[in-house]
Amino acid sequence: MARYAGFHRPNRPLALYAAVFAVVLYLPILLIPVFSFNSGVFVRFPLEGFTFGWYADLFQREPLIRAFWNSVKVACFVSLLSTLIAVPAALAIARYRMPGKAPAVAFMMLPLVLPGLILGVALLTLLNRMGVTLSLVTVALGHMVICLPYAISVLLPRFIGFNRALEEASADLGEPPLRTFWRVTLPCNYPAILACLLMTFTLSFDEFFMAFFLSGAEPTLPMYIWSQLRFPRDFPSLLALSSLILLFSFALIFASLRLARIGDPAQPESGR
Amino acid sequence: MSAADPAAPVRPGALTRFLHRHEGWRGHLLLAPALLLMAAAILFPLGMTLAMSTWSLAGYDIDRTPGLGNYAAMVENPMFGALILRTLTIALTSTLFTVILVYPVAYYVAFHVTRHKALWLILLTLPFWTSYLLRVFSWRVVLGQEGVINSALMGLGLIDSPLSFLLYSQTAVTIVLAHSWAAFAILPIYVSLEKINRSWLEAAADLGDGPVRRFWRITFPLSLPGVVAAFILMFVPTMGEYITPLMVGGPDSMMVGNLVQAMFGPMNNWPAGAALAVVMMVTIALAGLVFLLLNRLVQR
Amino acid sequence: MDVVDQIHALRAGKLSRRAFTRSLFALGIVPVMVPLLPRPARSAPEDHATWFTWGGFDIPDFFQEYVARRGEVPNFATFGSAEEAFNRLRSGFVADLAHPCITDVPRWASTGLFQPIDVSRLSNWPDVIPELWNVDYNLSEGRPWLVPFTWGQTSIAYRTDLYDLEGAEESWDMLWNTRYSGQLGMLAGGGDAWWCAAIKAGVPFDQIHTDDAFARISAVLREQRPLIRMYTDDTTSSDTALAAGEIVATMAWNSSVVSLTAQGVPVKFAKPREGALTYVCGLMLHAQAPRIDSAYDVLDSLISVSAADFNMRAYGYGGVNRKAFDQFTDEELAALGLARNPMDVLQAGHFGIPQTPEWDQRMTSTWEQIKLGF
Repeated sequence: MARYAGFHRPNRPLALYAAVFAVVLYLPILLIPVFSFNSGVFVRFPLEGFTFGWYADLFQREPLIRAFWNSVKVACFVSLLSTLIAVPAALAIARYRMPGKAPAVAFMMLPLVLPGLILGVALLTLLNRMGVTLSLVTVALGHMVICLPYAISVLLPRFIGFNRALEEASADLGEPPLRTFWRVTLPCNYPAILACLLMTFTLSFDEFFMAFFLSGAEPTLPMYIWSQLRFPRDFPSLLALSSLILLFSFALIFASLRLARIGDPAQPESGR
Repeated sequence: MSAADPAAPVRPGALTRFLHRHEGWRGHLLLAPALLLMAAAILFPLGMTLAMSTWSLAGYDIDRTPGLGNYAAMVENPMFGALILRTLTIALTSTLFTVILVYPVAYYVAFHVTRHKALWLILLTLPFWTSYLLRVFSWRVVLGQEGVINSALMGLGLIDSPLSFLLYSQTAVTIVLAHSWAAFAILPIYVSLEKINRSWLEAAADLGDGPVRRFWRITFPLSLPGVVAAFILMFVPTMGEYITPLMVGGPDSMMVGNLVQAMFGPMNNWPAGAALAVVMMVTIALAGLVFLLLNRLVQR
Repeated sequence: MDVVDQIHALRAGKLSRRAFTRSLFALGIVPVMVPLLPRPARSAPEDHATWFTWGGFDIPDFFQEYVARRGEVPNFATFGSAEEAFNRLRSGFVADLAHPCITDVPRWASTGLFQPIDVSRLSNWPDVIPELWNVDYNLSEGRPWLVPFTWGQTSIAYRTDLYDLEGAEESWDMLWNTRYSGQLGMLAGGGDAWWCAAIKAGVPFDQIHTDDAFARISAVLREQRPLIRMYTDDTTSSDTALAAGEIVATMAWNSSVVSLTAQGVPVKFAKPREGALTYVCGLMLHAQAPRIDSAYDVLDSLISVSAADFNMRAYGYGGVNRKAFDQFTDEELAALGLARNPMDVLQAGHFGIPQTPEWDQRMTSTWEQIKLGF
């Protein structure tokens, strides 16, 4: 294989720029694990001493662990439900001609062009007038509103580009539409659906703008971190938790990349 | 499953036959849950917000007689106009700044990376899996007077005393906003660059265009839809930002979002907050229209 | 991935568990199951009262007595500012106990959301210093609305190595010193900032509701604004900034100085000549508290000797149990800005006066506008 398979000659300055960009991008992120090992309480240079103490401390902090699981619960619920609703919706948009499709789709994509602050405040206003107590459920509802459009926009290109010949073959062989969906459509689009699940999970897990207004007695992890900013004493264990989450996310993403590669013969090629 | 003879044809039910014939109904049925959820979760809250913006405060309770008092107050008090203008400036500056910085990287990944494109994209968006709050917090360590940048510059002897404008200033807010939302900018630009048909570039080269001309005549115009999408995708959230200004901004870098949050929080003036939120929405909608017009012009 | 085939295969005993689990994981079922997995048997969180408090108090060190009695710490919900807490509670959030300051009591009590506390149920009550709760606006038919928990001063924390007093006395003028323009900090909450500005402007607290007071205090705050680098309620931010030298002086509570000194940063808690702002904060009981017995145990634990001792050692806040003071020497107390008799400190400084909700709203909106630069 040639050293470069593309049409463009290798551009050193551009490559350097991209590398520097990546470094600057990661700089603040990498500071989080660095300070999680720092024995000093304040996040400042010079570093004081190396310690695993904040990580050990992590498991003692009951409210922190509870907040973490609250976020996980909400994120799981939101990602499952929004993917569940988004799959038929994306199929419908991709496949069928319907009267009023364009305005309906535009309307559903509205949360993408509304800041989380506005959505959060609006939902808070409504829930308050309805007399609904704020809780993890209200947070989940808020997250659903932003995750659904994202889910649809992830699935849509995939369903649009999907070769329907396979589905038609299945139908020709006598399968009713629902079974075709189960046996052909779903397995073939498995990577996109997984990507959708992961993305909505991430969106919900770290979401703060709306959770700030919609949280009740049980805080999500970002809300807990926000409240802990008031007291610096145990702050570095938050950094420890964040580092662990980062590590876990890296692992999860790479694992899902592996999973996605399996059974996906049609890798998107660059437009050659 | 019953042990019926698999070869015998099964007559589908009446509903199934109806759906089979009417494509539109099938579509609507599939779309229904999503549409209903969004309708409930968008229309009612926004409607309520609009209603609340016409109410006013009476002690601790809310006086429900409709009126435009809150809007009048916003017109009279120069603070609101100035704040919105400042927010627009910060949002536009950081979005422009990001799109310009990010474009070469997207270009690099689209055209110069041959293997592991997915890996690059993942690596470029992975930082956003960390907690937003902690990321912004760690920018303080980078921008602070004893922070990474200042220590490096002083260590290299380039400056004598630390640069204080790097933190608790509009500069800090712009930089951190750019970093926080960069992922939203990279992906649309990358996608539109990726879709460009390479054979057109080859044809242009065959006809004698140099690399720079090729870029300006073919690549850049074709990537513009992606650029506009990146712009919108990033501009909107940055307009609604209130955390970044609070954490790295100085007194002169507060944005509209901060005031809305204050109104719903310590000031406890929900009607005024609702009115301000409505004004924010209108501002963003207008800005969006401008972008869409640009998009139309660009697509000519 | 074909679920129907897998079900068939399972029936036929041919599917390996690995393949099945893999598909379950892919369906995202496993992450959902994890929270439902059996946890080490503990009493359910529903049995314990919820304490709605500032972040930083949700630690076991205050609950030695409670844990001894009930085995675990209670539930916590945290807020960032007293106003935020008040608004949450008024929007319907029910927490058994909340954490306001004593001057907020009339406003909070007037909402009908709270009930007076039956102190006969508190075993540690006789040791609580009476001056801390025995004010007329805190009593309803002899019972207090608020059980005190901390008291202290809001004053100035400054870097002794970076801020040069130039022979002058410590004073509120320190935060208005143009020499350190761009290096000063201020608390963002009106509850502290407005009153400290009143001290600086020379407005007596009993006049603070007048229009003249509003004019003078606003003027003083506007004058200060160009000098301020950060307005924050977030102790982590201001402590870190002080430690890094981003700011050389800021309005702060005792806890900042205690934690900074423990980290080796040379700071001092000023004794302004005009007097510091002083406060007493504590707990109020919700009128519909669902776990009232547990709530009384929480109260008892928080006014115990161990809690008071921890409060003073770790945070520098005044404890409310007189027996805790036996563990401290006079010098130690003075260094923390405390005294064996709280009234010495509280009356030497300026203690707030309860205000009406209308005043509160006017003050907050004026202050927010000033902070924004208008």
